[in-house]
Amino acid sequence: MPHEVIMPALGMAQDTGKIVSWLKSAGDAVKAGDALFEVETDKATMEVESPADGYLTDVQADAGADVPVGNVIALVSDTAEDSGSAAQAPVDAGGSDDASLPDGKAVIMPALGMAQDTGVIVAWHKGLGDAVAAGDILFEVETDKATMEVEAGTDGFVAALLAEADEAAPVGDTIAIISPEKPANPVQRSIADGGAAKPAATPDPAPKAKGEPKSSPKKAPKAQAFTSADGRILASPKARRLALEQGLDLNRLVEAGHPQPFHVADIEVLSTMPAQTAGQTAAPPRRLTADLPTDGSCAFTEWATENTDLQDANAILAGLAAASLGRDTAIIAVESFEQSRAYTVPAGPFSAITKAEDDSAPDLILRDLRLSRVSTVDLGEEDAPVLTLTRTNSGLTITLECAGHHLAASAAVTLLSEFAGRMEQPLRHLL
Amino acid sequence: MSLQTSNMRWPEEEDMREITLSQAVNEALAEEMRRDETVFIIGEDVAEAGTPFKVLSGLVEEFGTERVVDTPISEPGFMGLAVGAAMTGTRPVVDLMFGDFIYLIMDQLCNQAAKTHYMSGGKMSAPLVLRTNMGATRRSAAQHSQSLHALVAHIPGLKVAMPSSAYEAKGLMKTAIRDNNPVVIFEDKLMYNDKAPVPEEEFLIPFGEANIKREGSDITLIATSSMVQVCEAAAEILAKEGIDAEVIDPRTIVPLDEETLIASAKKTSRVIVVDEGHQSYGITGEIAGRINEKAFYHLDAPVLRMGAMDVPVPFSPALEDITVPTPEAVAENARKLMSGEMIHAA
Amino acid sequence: MAKTKTNTEDYLRMYRQMVRIRSFEDNANQLYLSAKMPGLTHMYSGEEAVAVGICEALKVTDKITSTHRGHGHCVAKGANFKEMFCELLGKEEGYCRGKGGSMHIADQSNGNLGANAIVGGSMGIATGSAFTAKMLGKDDVTVCFFGDGATAQGLMYEVMNMAALWNLPVIYACENNGYSEYTKTEEIAAGLITARAEAFGIEAHQVDGQDVLAVNELTQDLVARARKGKGPFFMELMTYRYHGHHVGDINREYYRSKNEEKDWKENRDPIIKFRGWLVEQGIASEDEIEAMNAEVKKDAEEAVAYAEAAPYPGQAEVDMHVFTDVKHALA
Repeated sequence: MPHEVIMPALGMAQDTGKIVSWLKSAGDAVKAGDALFEVETDKATMEVESPADGYLTDVQADAGADVPVGNVIALVSDTAEDSGSAAQAPVDAGGSDDASLPDGKAVIMPALGMAQDTGVIVAWHKGLGDAVAAGDILFEVETDKATMEVEAGTDGFVAALLAEADEAAPVGDTIAIISPEKPANPVQRSIADGGAAKPAATPDPAPKAKGEPKSSPKKAPKAQAFTSADGRILASPKARRLALEQGLDLNRLVEAGHPQPFHVADIEVLSTMPAQTAGQTAAPPRRLTADLPTDGSCAFTEWATENTDLQDANAILAGLAAASLGRDTAIIAVESFEQSRAYTVPAGPFSAITKAEDDSAPDLILRDLRLSRVSTVDLGEEDAPVLTLTRTNSGLTITLECAGHHLAASAAVTLLSEFAGRMEQPLRHLL
Repeated sequence: MSLQTSNMRWPEEEDMREITLSQAVNEALAEEMRRDETVFIIGEDVAEAGTPFKVLSGLVEEFGTERVVDTPISEPGFMGLAVGAAMTGTRPVVDLMFGDFIYLIMDQLCNQAAKTHYMSGGKMSAPLVLRTNMGATRRSAAQHSQSLHALVAHIPGLKVAMPSSAYEAKGLMKTAIRDNNPVVIFEDKLMYNDKAPVPEEEFLIPFGEANIKREGSDITLIATSSMVQVCEAAAEILAKEGIDAEVIDPRTIVPLDEETLIASAKKTSRVIVVDEGHQSYGITGEIAGRINEKAFYHLDAPVLRMGAMDVPVPFSPALEDITVPTPEAVAENARKLMSGEMIHAA
Repeated sequence: MAKTKTNTEDYLRMYRQMVRIRSFEDNANQLYLSAKMPGLTHMYSGEEAVAVGICEALKVTDKITSTHRGHGHCVAKGANFKEMFCELLGKEEGYCRGKGGSMHIADQSNGNLGANAIVGGSMGIATGSAFTAKMLGKDDVTVCFFGDGATAQGLMYEVMNMAALWNLPVIYACENNGYSEYTKTEEIAAGLITARAEAFGIEAHQVDGQDVLAVNELTQDLVARARKGKGPFFMELMTYRYHGHHVGDINREYYRSKNEEKDWKENRDPIIKFRGWLVEQGIASEDEIEAMNAEVKKDAEEAVAYAEAAPYPGQAEVDMHVFTDVKHALA
């Protein structure tokens, strides 16, 4: 399978790289580690190496082009011919995929933090058609901790605004375009009507936002005075120990709006809280993740579709998932590209997998986000346990989320471990 | 002679005589010098002058200038001499006029005395006592007001004692002179004229035994030297507000009675450590660190350190007095810990 | 060469001690060069007459303090090869159980209060040792060895001042080998070294440090008077160290010429000189001397072999002897 050559992440403040020169030409034989091209950064000119042995093919960008970080600009293939399977259309001097948008430099929603995959635009500081300098503040975006200002990053004119204030844009999406000339037809859109352009499907993380957080952090609109950004409950060591010993659930204090951090006195309150009402589950929602260095399922799926009767990649995924669940039959719903397909999966060979009725209640939902820019999910429970697949560099992250009553803790662990093992090395598990 | 047990605050006799800390030290030295003729005192102005603090008055009259030896102003010299004397069969008590001068004698104290026993594989030892002082708010400015016990506590091979009253001063001094290791005793120079009940009969206070000065159940205040009185006063303030504070005096920081401190931390689940050394990189950090390690799951609040401000001691009274912990400052921190108010951000 | 009233036995012993020191140093140097000795050490070769001349005038209860260049003093004060080599190699049977090493080697039973890694660091200790002798009414004398470089340390003046004020039985012996680490003495010591002692009213003498009999005669005189309370005294012994400052100091022509070294080695070697005198005086024959040399060489080699095979201290030793009353400080 061809290896992608991508514009690497060059530094905190850089989201495109200018190709200075190609050191190899299309059709050349290359070895892993050979320098393929030079790219200019703030500090110096960097060489980018070939990821594998093979032939350089499908070159997408020429010397002099500015390529967004993460974009595929060439392939290293088994043969010297272009395969045409590079992930995107040729990149010109920057800009989005959408032909109806003006030409110019894309401004993307920056990566704001480990656990954040969308950012809410608080306000735009520039309007359509305004002149901007690279260091001007273009917009403010809200994070858990603070409101951050994001600079324009390039001189020019605001040619397109693709999201409105108060809208949430996914990290990495283009939300504005700055053109070198004053735009004749500036474009204003909102995300609600599909405005923000999806980035090309590449694994690299979006660069961080430039700019300083405001001096006084916004208070989160919750009852607690202090909460940690990642949802962790703050409690003293003694309080935690007592809660553990007495089998008490600190989440109930959170839900009841008790201010954190919790102390021993709060445990006393907790122990006198009424028993949970019927319909509420005693066990908390569960979320587990597995990080795999390689996503073995891609290669496996390719092989299968070429060499067997199994043509539906999603069915294969459903099969792997059902096998991990360990039941005689399971209905697996696979969501990808905003479509959901349900499969009935009996135990045994994958050839026995059939499509299920669209309204059948699935035992397990598989949410495939590997082709999106989303890297981390914390989406809460659905009606069935959900396995979400997200891509990390050349590997895979699998997140299992479910309600406490869907799966016991040990069953959740087993499900994720089994599925992760199958996704990493499908062949081994099928044998 | 009777040995004091850990939890007796004061000897329990009624009408016990009260003497000043200065007198207590004087008595201890006199008693030990009578008991053991190899004990001698050496330092500046120790003989007729009895030191500027007058702690040693009368000793040269009893023991003569051979055993109460005035020196030139040669701190490294007489410290080195004391090390050599201790290594060869006598037991010097070195009088270092101000604790601030400890910088001058560091090589002889920390490179020579502290390491003699170890470097010789246990064959030689340096049984000496370095008697010096600490404590600010005397308007003596930056170079005569420092509390530098943390520097020497850091060095393996030295023992460090910090008497908090006349009673401790006498008992710890006697133990120090009989100890075969180099011992540094820091007396609070502000307390020389403070009286306390001190038994007439001979007594020793063992090293490595903390003393619970006031029992309590809500919060533990660990304090050294004159900070013991500061914390006792804070405890009085807190008692009126319904907060019951326990005050513990470690008495020696090397060896440190961890067991008593940890037990108290587990009992109350809240601790403040108060010491007159600088707040940073000092005794309070060490004790707080040990409590963190050994009582973590019993803590309902972060362990607080209260030391002198990390500034050189200012001369002006308006400034000097705010650089050291006060009863009200201790009480205020105690209130915050009790209320669960986060003193530092999450 | 000066004559003294000492007898044949004493002379032979003096010679033997000097040869023992030279042999010890040659072996120690070899151990370093063959990477068998951890750390650094400092060779005394060339200065043998100083240590021997002085220590031969002392009793076993007299004390000495030593320097970082301390093997010579240690041997001269009566130490054994075996325990010394063990100490240099960090073995448990060393004088300090391997915990001191070359720079802190001590032999308390023979009155050696220890080498010291701090230049001038043992001057206070020597003065204190003399103080004890006086206070306890003993007639022990303490000799404080130090180099010309140590005359730059303030401590020396502080202790000489007090020693002079209190007439302490201490002899300050300055081994002036012409160099303070890598710098000529005249570049680091202003004025005269003996004048420093005289400034405190201390009687000071300068003597040829390569003449063991001269050193011994002078020391005997000063020691006798110090025992009677007439101290302190000061000696400046003019000598030379053959090796560099420390074992690794090999390329040293930038501070010392090879010709100078050659001159001292060939024309002013204390062992060669004394040997010549012994033969000339009929006190020993060349054969007897050769036999003595061979014996010493054999002793040294056996001791080295023993030390190389000897065990290190067990790991439990690491926190022992921090305090006298705590077996394991970190338990």
